[in-house]
Amino acid sequence: MAMQGIWSGTISFSLVAIPVQLVRAIEPGRVSFRMLHSADYSPLRRKMFCPEEERIVSPEEIVRGYEIGPGRHFLITDEELESVSPERSRTIEISEFIDLREVDPIYYDHPYYLVPEKGGEKAYRLLAEVMERTGKAGLARFVLDEREHLVAVRSAEGVLALITLHYAGEVLPAGDILAAGGQIDALEKGRMKKEIKKRMSRFDPDAYADGRRKSLLDLLKKKAKERPPVEAPAAEGEETEGPADLIAALQKSMRKLKEDR
Amino acid sequence: MSRSIVEIGGRRLPLTNLEKDLYPPYGFTKAHVLDYYRRIAPVILSHLKDRPLTLKRYPDGVEKDYFFEKRCPGHRPAWLKTADLVRDGGERMTVCLVNDLETLIWVENLASLELHVPLAKAVSPKTPDSIVFDLDPGEGANVLDCARVALILRGLLLEWRLAGFVKTSGRKGLHLYVPLNRKEATFDETKRFSKAVAVVLEKNYPDLVTSRMAKEFRKGRVFINWSQNDASKTMVSVYSLRAGEKPVVSFPLSWRELENASERGDPDKLRVLHSEAVRRAGKSGDLFRQVLTKKQRLPHP
Repeated sequence: MAMQGIWSGTISFSLVAIPVQLVRAIEPGRVSFRMLHSADYSPLRRKMFCPEEERIVSPEEIVRGYEIGPGRHFLITDEELESVSPERSRTIEISEFIDLREVDPIYYDHPYYLVPEKGGEKAYRLLAEVMERTGKAGLARFVLDEREHLVAVRSAEGVLALITLHYAGEVLPAGDILAAGGQIDALEKGRMKKEIKKRMSRFDPDAYADGRRKSLLDLLKKKAKERPPVEAPAAEGEETEGPADLIAALQKSMRKLKEDR
Repeated sequence: MSRSIVEIGGRRLPLTNLEKDLYPPYGFTKAHVLDYYRRIAPVILSHLKDRPLTLKRYPDGVEKDYFFEKRCPGHRPAWLKTADLVRDGGERMTVCLVNDLETLIWVENLASLELHVPLAKAVSPKTPDSIVFDLDPGEGANVLDCARVALILRGLLLEWRLAGFVKTSGRKGLHLYVPLNRKEATFDETKRFSKAVAVVLEKNYPDLVTSRMAKEFRKGRVFINWSQNDASKTMVSVYSLRAGEKPVVSFPLSWRELENASERGDPDKLRVLHSEAVRRAGKSGDLFRQVLTKKQRLPHP
């Protein structure tokens, strides 16, 4: 399976450093659409528009501002932004090990796989196997996309997976939602417990699928059979090879050139 | 931040961050970059003269982010020559003209490692001075494949009594220029001609050449990028440094050099480092001079 690496570097823990690549673990199954111009079916592009001058603004004229009130901003330059961005990580250094079951799933952000690179296969297997046997996950700090993340590295079926975790400050407190109310009847509690027990099953992810995605793909398949797709006009200069007489004259020269060799 | 002042052509120029390593894998500081451009100035300036400069700036070196700057920075000194262009959208834009050493040094102090210019001058933005064949090797092809294509192109051009001049891109490709230097030349005409040439080469050498931009056609082949013949496009200037692992230069080659490298299968000869560029330019002068002066006409079949 050829996977596009998002990052490559090493994962290290005490004295081992294993060269790895970070690859996506999720391929979002979203069916996406492009916006077309109804008149000629050309794909449309976004442009930045200045409502004050009523014109489209070119990239060179765009600066960044942090809004502090309507129409009031502090300017932030690329250099300033870069000066506060952390250095790109070259290693994922596991500093401590935890029991992943202690981590509330609300902290899970985005999952990736770690793939061993040349020369690191053996050490990778060792680390994956030992971590799986002990059931522990490694904690590390790791910079990806100019942001420092707290990440958990765990092992399952011989493969190391990395999950970025939300910071505590990003998780909204659940306390505010706590419902008020009177005493709970022991009898009611027992009845509900029984109901839950009756419906216990094992989680089988294969049993569920995105129904809308499937319906959409079926719809597109049906459309493909019914009629050809609409086409945008050919891009300028793309439609022809060039004037026939020019091509013919060049072809003649080419033949002569080849014969002379 | 370190600062020192130099005086060039009676202008006092503050230079900053001279010790900053701009090619960290190789070790080449801002001072080295400025020194390279100072030494290469006698040959590069005529190729930048009167052309709107696009700066490609690497403020933190080749391994960090870069940005293109088409507008002449607002903090420029008052003496710096500029031109006002009207872009396609009707909007005006002030651009830098690098017509002298002091401007070149000022621009390089902004860490614009690469200097890009259009095929037309600022006063006549719709008149290309030359046709360019931008030979770009796809995955699995290399500069020697580009050399083969350049040599075939040269033969075809000679059939049409057109002289061509070749330079390394400073990356993996080659750039072949066919000077026109005629007022009546138009981009419509040069684009049509270069595209037709690309298509004919593709038909005759389907395993070596493609005229199509899409990746799937480029694998193992040389893409003749004819679409560079456009008023809105720029090419890296001859003698410009390129941002990469090493300070490699986009450098002119004689046809003999290209033939030798091609026969010996020696791609290293087609990679000219800063020091060699200065040495060779000092010895042989500007091999690209005729690109600016030679008058040629595209034949109409």
